[in-house]
Amino acid sequence: MNSAFRIRQRPTLILLGAVLLLSVLSYGKPYWLDNSIVIAIFSLLALSVGLCYGQAGILSMATAAFASVGAFGTAVLTTRYGQSPYVGLLFAVVAPVLLAYPLARALTRLSPLPLSIATFMISSLIELAVHEGGELTGGYIGISAIPRLSLAPTAQSMHFLSWGCVLVTVYLYVNLMRSTYGRAINTARHDPLRASADGVGVPHLLASTFAVSAAIAGVGGWLYAHHLTYMGPDSMTTNVSIQVLLMAVIGGAQTILGPIVGAAMLLLVTLYLPAAETQGMVFGGTLVFVLMVAPRGLLGTEWRALMRRRIFARTPTTTVKPGVKA
Amino acid sequence: MLLEILEFLVRGALLGAIYGLLAYPVSLLFVTTESVDLAVGAYAVLAATVCMAVSATLGIPLGIALGIFSAVLASLVVGALSLSINRGSKPDPLVMVLATFGFATVLESIVLTLYGKDPMVRQPFVNFWQMGEIRVSPQAAINLATGLVLLTALYVWLYRTSFGRDMRACAANPGAAALAGIPVQRISLATYMVGGLLAGIAGILILYTTGTSYSAGLGLTISGFGAAVLFGLHSPLRGFAGGVVIGVVQALSAGYLSGGWGTAAPLLFILIVLASGRANFSHIVGGRA
Repeated sequence: MNSAFRIRQRPTLILLGAVLLLSVLSYGKPYWLDNSIVIAIFSLLALSVGLCYGQAGILSMATAAFASVGAFGTAVLTTRYGQSPYVGLLFAVVAPVLLAYPLARALTRLSPLPLSIATFMISSLIELAVHEGGELTGGYIGISAIPRLSLAPTAQSMHFLSWGCVLVTVYLYVNLMRSTYGRAINTARHDPLRASADGVGVPHLLASTFAVSAAIAGVGGWLYAHHLTYMGPDSMTTNVSIQVLLMAVIGGAQTILGPIVGAAMLLLVTLYLPAAETQGMVFGGTLVFVLMVAPRGLLGTEWRALMRRRIFARTPTTTVKPGVKA
Repeated sequence: MLLEILEFLVRGALLGAIYGLLAYPVSLLFVTTESVDLAVGAYAVLAATVCMAVSATLGIPLGIALGIFSAVLASLVVGALSLSINRGSKPDPLVMVLATFGFATVLESIVLTLYGKDPMVRQPFVNFWQMGEIRVSPQAAINLATGLVLLTALYVWLYRTSFGRDMRACAANPGAAALAGIPVQRISLATYMVGGLLAGIAGILILYTTGTSYSAGLGLTISGFGAAVLFGLHSPLRGFAGGVVIGVVQALSAGYLSGGWGTAAPLLFILIVLASGRANFSHIVGGRA
């Protein structure tokens, strides 16, 4: 492991350490294992938001909808057609991509605002399709008795599998953002005109990013279905999309590890929330609060610089030498 | 057959007048601050809920007044939020969209906690008017009249008063407006409150027309947005016509398409309208100010 790799993959290594610690702490405790699996699954969804919103600037409210495509796909394939869950995994990756890419091609030429509204409508449409799926998706009853994975029959092994998925995703995510493609995505976000002047096919690039993020969400949905062994019409709704967005924003959507931190924090908070009705108040209120105080999220904010600025603001007599880097 | 279509058309126009009211705040905000208030539908639901809860004990007029007042109050909160979020040098409109999205969830949750999941509806009119062969609820007349009166008032306000002129100046070019001594921030706060007022009135009308429930907010926002986009976002007054069209599409698809498709068709319609790029605001230099 040379030092260039260590520097580049620092987020992955930090995450690896955190996962190892988590594995030790939760070893043999079913309650915490279950929570850790759910955190891993939501981390994947939040990473999908991070890639889409944080890097490419596409505010997508359809994350949970793409996850539900993956989840229902694998659920239908395994329970109705007796296929292996790994065929389901293939479907959970390919179907969201096939769905997202043409949609994004049609929509990414829109300004960011109408685009976000359009993703919300796509999410509503997919939700509606699940409701009206009749025999196939089980309609209002849903699909139960989805088989567990042969790779991970117990909670302990599921814990390793789902965090393994997160680790692989983060590894690839870091590599992507370090590549010329990643640079191009960031340029396209900040200044599409500049990006196309650089020879980047902006619509294709943004649509591909959207499709890849949909695929990550699809994998999350696949894990979700095989972990809970049940998918209902209320499992992956727009509300989940809002929660996932919130997780990414709280942690810092533009950072690599931010979405995972946000997912872990919010899910731990949810454990101690009283009633389901008040969840919206907490989530929505937190979102507004975070956007006002630290719009770049926990990991994205330069807290030290912020504090220093506060102190300077209070003592206006302090002079800052020009040319000295803070 | 023709009669049936006519009846759906009338029913659609009845709904559409309400969407027209919701379209106005969407497009006005869009042109003044280049952001969208996703909580518009939530104000309407809030107004309906407060009206429903208060008029049971304190009488209907007070209920309606308090309902509209609560919507204006909620929009004032969002307006204040927008001032503090857009403080920076280069505000990102998406952040504001996220914030209003969060606020809409808060309002939805408040309504759910206060009132529960029951649908809310009031239909005071038992006798329908017989117009030729079709039956029309007197509520339709109230909706249409309210819509037209407010439309006229808004027109006069926007194009015949100095405040309206200031507002249009902010919409055209906020920077130049500020240099000309127009209090841009105060105007944008006022824009939010006018939006809340209209959404509140729309909410009361919805309560008396089709009824609503705690989760209807975002759907209403989407309908309002579609109505605003349909004939061009840059002229707020066209939103009313757009609203009528969206209402008619909804009524027709609910009438002629089966269950799920009936709900999906209006969404698809708005999605296609959006995809045609009507809502794109063009900056000359690729998004750079």
